Amino acid sequence: MSNTDDIRWVAQVALLGDKTAFDKLTCKYQSSIRRFFLNLTVGDAPLSDDLAQETFIKAYLNISTFKGISGFSTWLYRIAYNVFYDSARAQKHYDDIDEQVIDNQHHTLNEFSAEKMDIYKALKILRKEEQTAVLLFYMEDKTHKEIAKIMNCPLGTAKTYILKGKEKLSVYLTQAGYGNERN
Amino acid sequence: METNETDNMLKGFFGEQKQEIADNGFSKRVMRKLPEQADRSWIVWVFAIIGMLTTLFLGFYTGLFQNAQFVLPRIPVYYILAGVFCFPLVGTIGFYFTQNKHYRLI
Repeated sequence: MSNTDDIRWVAQVALLGDKTAFDKLTCKYQSSIRRFFLNLTVGDAPLSDDLAQETFIKAYLNISTFKGISGFSTWLYRIAYNVFYDSARAQKHYDDIDEQVIDNQHHTLNEFSAEKMDIYKALKILRKEEQTAVLLFYMEDKTHKEIAKIMNCPLGTAKTYILKGKEKLSVYLTQAGYGNERN
Repeated sequence: METNETDNMLKGFFGEQKQEIADNGFSKRVMRKLPEQADRSWIVWVFAIIGMLTTLFLGFYTGLFQNAQFVLPRIPVYYILAGVFCFPLVGTIGFYFTQNKHYRLI
């Protein structure tokens, strides 16, 4: 499924209000958007699903504002980014989440908990902006330009977030013996 | 550690953790939550009716319809050819929409 499909589906939704076309967009992007939220919320699956749902509903309601200059995926991540930060600002509890609570969540709510603990611990050492930029760059394969658009910041700032995140993660993972295990 | 090495290490690390999340009804839940929007298909019908009325008016007003048997033979052949070539195009578009149930033609 190419970007041409995206444009066609977006046009059908925007012009005709075609929900079937929007369903196709949702099916195509649900995995990456939910994964993005799952990582940003350090494994809180119910919260990440709620945020993903809100993202898709906002996308549906504002689809006529999509100009097609950037890809639909980039536009969707931009909404997701805003949804996440609005939610974080409203709740203000993400930075204070007790580690034990996270552990419990991983064991009870997330079937991938055992394998995912490493990444959640690693992400927790980063600032939220660095987390977002690093996840978009290394996990979602976005370019620097796309990340700058998603985070609505200058290109240099996006690069700085990635660089700082990379430095911190490099130290963390090396200390944790990750590089050695691979070598 | 060199930048490239770090990049490779992080790409490896995130690549290992990357998972595809199964839909498990998520899309359906989103579709159920979508607000109803006004049906805009009436716009197409309005323009179609305006187009038809305009054609009929001009056809009768200019006498084209009444004198069709005299006028049609005088129409340049390439006009007719252009009209004929439109049929496959319109037919293809019509076929595309009718055969593929996922795309509705209003």
